[in-house]
Amino acid sequence: MTAMRPDLERTASALFAGAPDWTAIAESGLPRLLVPEAAGGFGGDWGDAEAVLRLAGAAALAQPLAEAMLAARLLADAGVALPAGRVTIAIAQGRVTDGRFTGSAPAVPWGGASDAVLAAVGGELLLLPPGVATPGLSPAGEPRDRLDWQGAAVLAAGRASTSLGKSGVGDSAASEPDLLALAGWARAAQVAGALGAALDLAVDHVNTRVQFGKPLARQQAVQQQLAVLASEVAAAGMASAAAAAALDAGGDCRLALAAAKLRANLAIGRGVAIAHQVHGAIGFTRDYPLQLLTRRLMGWRSEFGSEGAWADRLGALAVARGSAGLWATITG
Amino acid sequence: MVAVFALPPFAFPDDSAALRGDIRAFLARHQPASEPAARANCWAVADPEFSRALGAAGFIGMTWPEAYGGRARSAMARYIILEELLAAGAPVGAHWIADRQTGPLLLRYGSEAQRRRWLPGMAAGEVFACIGLSEPGAGSDLAGVRSRAERVAGGWRLNGQKLWTSGAHHAQVMLALLRSEAGSERQAGLSQFLIPLDTPGITIRPVIDLVGNHDFNEVFFDDVIVPEDALVGVEGDGWRQVTAELAIERSGPERYLSSHALLAALIDSAPQDPAVVRVIGELVAELWTLRQMSMATAAKLAGGEDPVVEAAIVKDLGNSFEQRLPQAIQAVLAADLDGATPLLRCLARLLLVSPSFSLRGGTREVLRGIIARGMGLR
Repeated sequence: MTAMRPDLERTASALFAGAPDWTAIAESGLPRLLVPEAAGGFGGDWGDAEAVLRLAGAAALAQPLAEAMLAARLLADAGVALPAGRVTIAIAQGRVTDGRFTGSAPAVPWGGASDAVLAAVGGELLLLPPGVATPGLSPAGEPRDRLDWQGAAVLAAGRASTSLGKSGVGDSAASEPDLLALAGWARAAQVAGALGAALDLAVDHVNTRVQFGKPLARQQAVQQQLAVLASEVAAAGMASAAAAAALDAGGDCRLALAAAKLRANLAIGRGVAIAHQVHGAIGFTRDYPLQLLTRRLMGWRSEFGSEGAWADRLGALAVARGSAGLWATITG
Repeated sequence: MVAVFALPPFAFPDDSAALRGDIRAFLARHQPASEPAARANCWAVADPEFSRALGAAGFIGMTWPEAYGGRARSAMARYIILEELLAAGAPVGAHWIADRQTGPLLLRYGSEAQRRRWLPGMAAGEVFACIGLSEPGAGSDLAGVRSRAERVAGGWRLNGQKLWTSGAHHAQVMLALLRSEAGSERQAGLSQFLIPLDTPGITIRPVIDLVGNHDFNEVFFDDVIVPEDALVGVEGDGWRQVTAELAIERSGPERYLSSHALLAALIDSAPQDPAVVRVIGELVAELWTLRQMSMATAAKLAGGEDPVVEAAIVKDLGNSFEQRLPQAIQAVLAADLDGATPLLRCLARLLLVSPSFSLRGGTREVLRGIIARGMGLR
């Protein structure tokens, strides 16, 4: 944790509360939070980023801040100048021939509105110009555009693992697309915030809504359900915070990042249902703010790795290392 | 925001690797049973020989002052020892209660004479303790305790019955909650007593569990006379002392590692079936997260604070995980539970004993009530 975190959290909270447009986000400098000061950034650590992304999730921020933050950091690590405008991230497929990329990426956040795209292609990171966009929308109504590139000039390229430098997400033997793991972790932080905000709404609701002659909060069945939701919020929050701490500590972070996104996904499945159940019909309306959280949570659950995708990866890692090796990794 | 769990992640200092190496070396010399079923739920498995060796190596009561046989190590150093023992499936049941609960309680509330009499033997892995809380009419509603202690010349006369007393047949001493004020009700008038189990008038009878194990006992007190100094702490303050004792026991690594032997055995069977690999991955993600939550809570406890709600969350989530683990594995294994392999024997055992995980040390419903109160509900 850097010394600026309390100020950072205050600034971010105030900014996000005003439903900022992209210009306001860019002017705040938050997209450069993870960029070293020497390279024109804030010099924040991964824990700082986790705190800001959690607040963004809680505020249902409708801007690609997580994407811009990760792109700026990875480009800075690779020594590539940050392009002007909005830079998003993509998990793409395709090939580079003579410095030109042909391929595509599905569901790129704000893909069509971006000025450049940092794309993971296999184990490589490519900085690409905006491709041809086919508009798509997330359940929350945010752009998730398909991008196609046909012989597009690659602006910069690097190995994902080396470009991550001391954060050490990759290791040279692995061809894991590290951007995917980092983006999954960023979503986990947003999930922790959004699910926490859903818990806040639920607690407010049961304290004020009277049925059977008393507030819902006094019904033991309701209390027990909210205890489960609170526990899921706690688990998602600890998973994303501990993964950030692992990134800050360096070393092999693959297990932590994968576990964070997978645990966050499990928390969505278990938690959203409870938040809605205790709200009754009001939580199901367009006018009540729970929908802003639910629609994002359900979309994020699929993005940058479903439960199954991360479980396959973690399971393979566990089997490859054996139970003793797994335990050594977890406790290392 | 409702801050029910706002603890920062904990990371062990770099010099903790040496301690982890020490306990792993000890476990290499004193290997737990090779049969996974015998390593399952290992903190309910008593092996006095193992406890004696562990005590001799300095790994019991290790946070206690050296004057009482301890090693004056930090609480987080002890955490490392516990999680390594549990992950390895070591039979730590004999000394577990003395190390976790009775010893620390004596350090907190006991007299100098009580500490000098009991703690060195506990730290040596030679004196084992059990907890006398539950009774036929007092389970989750512990304030219903009716077993009583009456003042007599030079001491106390005890009468009544304790039930579900784990390990009473291995233990030399019981720390019991008794009604010491005649006619008192509920939380008032209760006191804690340290009772040597070889005192005349005590009868211990086994209560065999559904897999045929002898862990539980019923313990009868018939005009048992104990000396004045059997009273622990302040007369009439038993409820407050016991509540603090229960909070200590809720968030440790034993709350999510009880089924670890099965996960380890499954991983080491090198499964190829993608469905099995996927279940392993999901369980590993939960295991990693629970360990982070448990360590963060332990670190706060070690800092002298009392994270009641966080500890309840760790126990509830941890117990749910320990219970879900065998069922999730059963769901993807294509085999009947015929006991043909070590893995299947371990699975069958955990399917049957895991319902107890969310009962012992506070039921799921009680814990969720604590969490709800922490959010201001009620």
